[in-house]
Amino acid sequence: METVAIIKSFNQANDIKELVDAFILPIKDYSINFESSFTLDEINTFKMLGKKVFLAVNKNIHNSEIDDLKEKLIEIDKLNINGIIYYDASIVKLKKDLDLKTDLIWSQEHMVTNYGTINYWYDKGVKYSYLSSEITKEEINDIKENSKAKLFLNVFGYIPMFTSRRHLVNNYIQYFNLNENGKNKTIYKEEKHYPINDKEHGTTVYSDYILNILDEDFSDIDYLVFNSFLIENSEFKEVLYNFKNNIKEYKFPFNHGFLYNETVYRVKKK
Amino acid sequence: MIKPELLAPAGDLERLKIALLYGADAVYIGGTFNLRANADNFTVSEIQKGVDFAHSLSKKVYVTVNIAMHNKELNKIIDYLKELDNTGVDAIIVSDPAIIKLAKENTNLVIHLSTQASTLNKEAAAFWKSEGVSRIVLARECSMEDIKDIKESVGIELEVFVHGAMCASYSGRCVLSNFLTSRDSNRGGCSQICRWDFDLKEDDKDLKGEKPFTFCTKDLSLIKYIPELINLGVDSFKIEGRMRSAYYIATITSVYRKVIDEFWNNPEDYEYNLKYEQVLRRCANRDSVPQFFDGSFGKDVQYYNGRIEVTNQDFLGTVIGYSDNLMKVEQRNYFKKGDLVTVFGPNDEFDMTIEKVYDEDMNEIDIVRHPKQIVYIKCDKKVSNDYMIKKALSTIDK
Repeated sequence: METVAIIKSFNQANDIKELVDAFILPIKDYSINFESSFTLDEINTFKMLGKKVFLAVNKNIHNSEIDDLKEKLIEIDKLNINGIIYYDASIVKLKKDLDLKTDLIWSQEHMVTNYGTINYWYDKGVKYSYLSSEITKEEINDIKENSKAKLFLNVFGYIPMFTSRRHLVNNYIQYFNLNENGKNKTIYKEEKHYPINDKEHGTTVYSDYILNILDEDFSDIDYLVFNSFLIENSEFKEVLYNFKNNIKEYKFPFNHGFLYNETVYRVKKK
Repeated sequence: MIKPELLAPAGDLERLKIALLYGADAVYIGGTFNLRANADNFTVSEIQKGVDFAHSLSKKVYVTVNIAMHNKELNKIIDYLKELDNTGVDAIIVSDPAIIKLAKENTNLVIHLSTQASTLNKEAAAFWKSEGVSRIVLARECSMEDIKDIKESVGIELEVFVHGAMCASYSGRCVLSNFLTSRDSNRGGCSQICRWDFDLKEDDKDLKGEKPFTFCTKDLSLIKYIPELINLGVDSFKIEGRMRSAYYIATITSVYRKVIDEFWNNPEDYEYNLKYEQVLRRCANRDSVPQFFDGSFGKDVQYYNGRIEVTNQDFLGTVIGYSDNLMKVEQRNYFKKGDLVTVFGPNDEFDMTIEKVYDEDMNEIDIVRHPKQIVYIKCDKKVSNDYMIKKALSTIDK
């Protein structure tokens, strides 16, 4: 089991490097649902920290982006990083066509929900899968038992639950001619606030809570992911410190998300 | 150039027949593992009946098997795929690649890739082609240029949504239902949170317009772009809406049928007929726009209506019998003697004034006000059970 952090800046990464084994770095122009993104040059500097580096290339890839993406993937391959986290199937084909050596991590966000599909991608050369956050602990354990791939699991942080190409916040602001100040936004319903982020590639909505399953034993999962999105650096560092030192006290309440809360799937009975 | 297929949704056997009779070349339906868990999904024996009916008309049936599976579905899916194979369905529509593998290993089913897979580019399309997929239902975010390039570069059958409601998100990339209602959107439980209203806040301050914040977008309609779609070589024109009524399916399907045929039969003299647009708008009762096809996904594509949608009562009744110059009709909305109405069937449409109406005891009445009320309407032209009655367009305030 290794600890992975999704970070916002090089300084933050440098500050927590003793507490983690790896970083997830969102790449500029081809990542989505993250607070920050980094250029290839910036990514190269992260390697100085001596930790594993996984790059998120996780946006839906539009046809007009393909030529540029090819060039980007060739450049990424030269960086000698530990893996590319992808959403779009084009990246599997491009890895083969371009003979890229960098490993791939299947991260189709809400669809990484069974070991059969994880094994399908494994057979296509994808050696890692990044589990969805909407499955139960029992399902996670079954997947671990029955899949060949190494697994990533979100254990701490806000969870993306909606991704759109549309600029839903900006559309609303423009439509009603409102003034905004570029600060953090939420949508609010029935006492719950959901962070919402409208950026260059579209809009993301996040869970109203910070997932915190650090009281659970997932030591057999290969990579446990801590996401610093919207969390103060000092508080995030404290979470990592406590986890590393097996201190079971956290400033953030435990929240098990879907671990014990199976979602309903029912075909209507006649 | 190949004439494109018109593909309509069907929530049950009745609507399957309506869709095919009103001009669809093929229908798509849901069985056990599909994304409309609360539709009247087909049993395997109903699928068989649907397939038999469609094939008797030389038309096709596709079955959606487009959930993102969880572990427990893995064990059940193979038997189901074998059952589908035995019915002779013309294809299954799949998003989870594990199902592609299982279908290839255990059946002879033809495989179409669902829009849930969000295929937006030629490299992804080529990947799926190499995996044995014979058709791709493209992501709704594709532009006209994207479709052209994918078609020319990959040479795989392409299916494109031409009409109906839109996901506000990338398909498959929304679990609002899971989080807000504990219903799994990628296994058929979508509770359409994107149609809900929210308050938008910046820090603690409200960002409030005249209407509440919502994700909700206008519907899709590519009725204007039928010639372009045909010229692009799109193989199948797909209408959204397995939960929609028979009236909706009959109306939308027949309009697209007419437009496709008008252009196909005489492309040089084809002229876009605005009347069809009015018919579509009245039927769906929502604004519709070309969406990503022409690159429009800005503020004017959003639907800020505070969830208030004015329902119209255009659909007046369904014909359930005909004899002695009388149509037997089951009422859907209020109408009365003297109203000008349009009676329409699969290949027929005419206006008439309602001169005489009788109740079930053959007493003459003036007003038909009760839902599902059975009445007899004088009609000299013979009609059959698949006909419907609506307000004549000329009587509607546009």
